[in-house]
Amino acid sequence: MLEVHGLHKKYGRKRPVLQGVSFTVPPNQLTCLIGLNGEGKSTILKSIMGLIPLDAGTIVVDGEMSRERIAFVPDLSTMPGYMTVGDAILYMEDFYPDWNQKTAEELMAFFKLLSTDKISDLSKGNKAKVNLLLGFSLDRPYLLLDEPLAGIDLFTKEQIAWIFSSHYMEGRGILMTTHEIAEVEHLIDRVVFLQDGKIIHEDDAEEMRELYGKSVQDRMREVFQR
Amino acid sequence: MEFDQRSPVYLQVIRWFKERIATGEFVGGQEIPSRRALAAELGINPNTAQKVYKEMEEQQLITTERNVPSRITTDPQVVERVRSELLSEAVAEFVTAVQAIQVPLDEVMSTVQNVYHTNERGELDA
Repeated sequence: MLEVHGLHKKYGRKRPVLQGVSFTVPPNQLTCLIGLNGEGKSTILKSIMGLIPLDAGTIVVDGEMSRERIAFVPDLSTMPGYMTVGDAILYMEDFYPDWNQKTAEELMAFFKLLSTDKISDLSKGNKAKVNLLLGFSLDRPYLLLDEPLAGIDLFTKEQIAWIFSSHYMEGRGILMTTHEIAEVEHLIDRVVFLQDGKIIHEDDAEEMRELYGKSVQDRMREVFQR
Repeated sequence: MEFDQRSPVYLQVIRWFKERIATGEFVGGQEIPSRRALAAELGINPNTAQKVYKEMEEQQLITTERNVPSRITTDPQVVERVRSELLSEAVAEFVTAVQAIQVPLDEVMSTVQNVYHTNERGELDA
């Protein structure tokens, strides 16, 4: 279980972005963090990874205060554009002891990426695929995905969403932010709603459908259009 | 597979199985895909696939023994139960729809017969 406790964050003199954010990411489930633009979803992911300093809050991973068991897929490529896909994979393999080369090769074939493809020449959709490949190829029990489907055409979105029904999900607790709910609605286990710097609801997607006949999008309208 | 976003995915997948069991497309004793393969094939979450199989075992639609693939039930009573369940559900939905527009039963019945036969002929021609 990845536990997020009481995150507080304020940028300069502005209104605080996070005002005591607490929620959990269970193992072996896909949890979706939903909030309107500017609510601080990316801030939460980055602060879980320790990439930005928090004013307060703790992250506990399977009972330990360590981030070594979490992988992060940012919304923009962090690999230098002059690298090829093959270079990026070699770099990761050198750098991370928990790199899984077999997964990397399988995903490269599935996404029809070539190791000679230069990252800066790739389309937005293919860059997103490279990002996912790099994240899923780390053998870590938790994975954070920041807007993996943003700005990508429908066909590519469907290819990317395939990964959520694949065996690469096994043994991973995933936290994802997305505005593209329609494409992944039937793939999500849990939904966490963020508003005004706090988590206001945590719902089980199948339960929401079974008990209330509501889709995740119905629930979003209820929560945000008040 | 296309999903109705307002009803549970696992129930939609179970229904997909029931329809195939009722029509005999899936025959008794036939092996079914592993949970992993089903998730990938239908594009569903692996946890949902797990729930589908567990629920289908409880409803005796499939049988699972250790270390071998699950199989479609060979029990004719279960198959008959599935058929009548699907029929009752479809009829209940239909009756609600025609009652909403207040059509008398005899007119409903004769229309049903006409449409049923027309569709059947259409299928033969096709």
